[in-house]
Amino acid sequence: MAEKQKLIEIKNLKQYFNVGKGNVIKAVDGLTFDIYKGETLGLVGESGCGKSTTGRTIIGLYKATEGEVLFNGVNVHAKKSAKELKTLKRKMQMIFQDPYASLNPRMTVADIIAEGIDIHGLAKTKEERMQRVYELLETVGLNKEHANRYPHEFSGGQRQRIGIARALAVEPEFIIADEPISALDVSIQAQVVNLMKKLQREKGLTYLFIAHDLSMVKYISDRIGVMYFGKLVELADAEELYRNPIHPYTKALLSAIPLPDPETERVRKRIVYDPSQHNYKEGEELSLREITPGHFVLCSEAEYKQYKAMYT
Amino acid sequence: MEKLLEVKDLEVSFQTYGGEVQAVRGVSFHLNKGETLAIVGESGSGKSVTSQTIMRLIPTPPGKIKNGQIIFNGEDLVKKTDKEMEQIRGKDIGMIFQDPMTSLNPTMKVGQQIMEVLMKHLKMSKSAAKERAIELLRLVGIPMPEKRVNQYPHEFSGGMRQRAMIAVALASNPKLLIADEPTTALDVTIQAQILELMKDLQKKTGTSIIFITHDLGVVANVADRVAVMYAGKIVEMGTVDEIFYDPRHPYTWGLLASMPSLDSDDKAELAAIPGSPPDLTNPPKGDAFAPRNPYAMKIDFELEPPMFKISDTHYAATWLLHPDAPKVEPPEAVKKRLRKLSSNYPQPVIVKESE
Repeated sequence: MAEKQKLIEIKNLKQYFNVGKGNVIKAVDGLTFDIYKGETLGLVGESGCGKSTTGRTIIGLYKATEGEVLFNGVNVHAKKSAKELKTLKRKMQMIFQDPYASLNPRMTVADIIAEGIDIHGLAKTKEERMQRVYELLETVGLNKEHANRYPHEFSGGQRQRIGIARALAVEPEFIIADEPISALDVSIQAQVVNLMKKLQREKGLTYLFIAHDLSMVKYISDRIGVMYFGKLVELADAEELYRNPIHPYTKALLSAIPLPDPETERVRKRIVYDPSQHNYKEGEELSLREITPGHFVLCSEAEYKQYKAMYT
Repeated sequence: MEKLLEVKDLEVSFQTYGGEVQAVRGVSFHLNKGETLAIVGESGSGKSVTSQTIMRLIPTPPGKIKNGQIIFNGEDLVKKTDKEMEQIRGKDIGMIFQDPMTSLNPTMKVGQQIMEVLMKHLKMSKSAAKERAIELLRLVGIPMPEKRVNQYPHEFSGGMRQRAMIAVALASNPKLLIADEPTTALDVTIQAQILELMKDLQKKTGTSIIFITHDLGVVANVADRVAVMYAGKIVEMGTVDEIFYDPRHPYTWGLLASMPSLDSDDKAELAAIPGSPPDLTNPPKGDAFAPRNPYAMKIDFELEPPMFKISDTHYAATWLLHPDAPKVEPPEAVKKRLRKLSSNYPQPVIVKESE
């Protein structure tokens, strides 16, 4: 593989939440991975595994407990002047899961989309601002007439398109999509995914696509990371991950997805993951190790040798 | 096979400020004893309203059953009074809802909620009910049921709550279980557990299940027969094999084609269904799916298609099955799954109104 340019570097990222009485939730516990320019990295896992927290910490909605996130070499969490922060925020945008809760009901669609344009001063005149809004609406498959309406007048799929238009308004390089399609109907999901792919082709965007729907993730992603209890347990090319899952949790997760094919469903054998099956010894060091080129698995030294022998 | 439930030409409407919303527009189907019927469709297709009408849970007003019959065990549920329904609801028909967070009472212990059913419908004593509640919790796979029975719903995880919900619904050995998106809010691994549990319990108790979902993977996993709903009508119905291997309605094609498949490396654009579902205050003339249907013909915008019978069990409402209709090719993704089914008639037959 040719040397790809790293857009995001995440180094030993930790995000702990203090929930009182001395209890700490380790939502994200030591993540290290890179996101390359122009790719889509899918992040999957069950609810509570820390995938959304990861996205929110990367973009700086939470202050990281430990570790760092570099965007084009700039540390997202380091102290910055207001101006630096603004430029950085422009480059990273987010699309949220709930298209009903993430749009201000008291603002018109035009104001929602143009908010970023106003903040960053991207339009010099009122006409230019509206022109941009119209262009963006068309880009996401809505039309000009929609600009003066309010969010409640739109369906879920249309709202998600508005959310995408808002994210695109400031011409970002990197978009974090946190379960952008989970709240939508099947027939609408495909529309939104197609739109996201088209925009990526046209604008060279980089996506972090967070979801629990594994079939959609496989379809849209170049590489996929599987999270379990705040840790990345496996990271590989999308095809590779589905064809040769190595970590037992990934195997269990894949075996649980029902497929739209009655015959395979009748003979389905589900694999159950039991974290104690690893039999890790006290003090054994776990880390992401490369088994085959580009395929990383969280394992101990002993497991590494075993996997190496099995899969290469 | 013995029919447990027969719904005939059901029509349900809601009065709103914007006008009358015709949520269910003439739905007919039946359910045999011990079988699982999956109802699939998008939000707003009327699948939940249909199931809630069977339970008579539709608030009236604004809702209204305008027409039709629901024959359950030989009796018409539409004609029952609220008082009579109380004897059926929770006893002969159990229901599992989508959101276990909101469907359990947060101020009542889980055990109490199961015991309530047992004491009211089966007239059990308190101590017997408690014992049975523990047994039921064990049956649905909750560890340490003796302890769990005295806990509140907030002490349960999402999957555990859904199990508790199933225990409540099954407490009175219902003949019919209606599950309205029971696994939509759950993770895939938990979903797989719940589906296995439901199939397992069905084998043991012989309950019939109506399973409402929009996930075709889940349908393939649980269903014996499938009804596809669109805009308040059933557009296609058949055995699970007929729907997945020989679909005939363009909407079913669209649903199947818009899902990416796990085993193909195909990165071609997904075949999305364009547009969005129609507004049911003003149902369109002709076939409601026509504006989104790439196969629509002129007649689709004028006249509603009749039901065609493709085999003894397979029905579809589309003009494409008419002998005069041009031959069309389904989308690529659907063509890959097509198989010749031996039970098909040589030609689709129009179903007469009286049938």
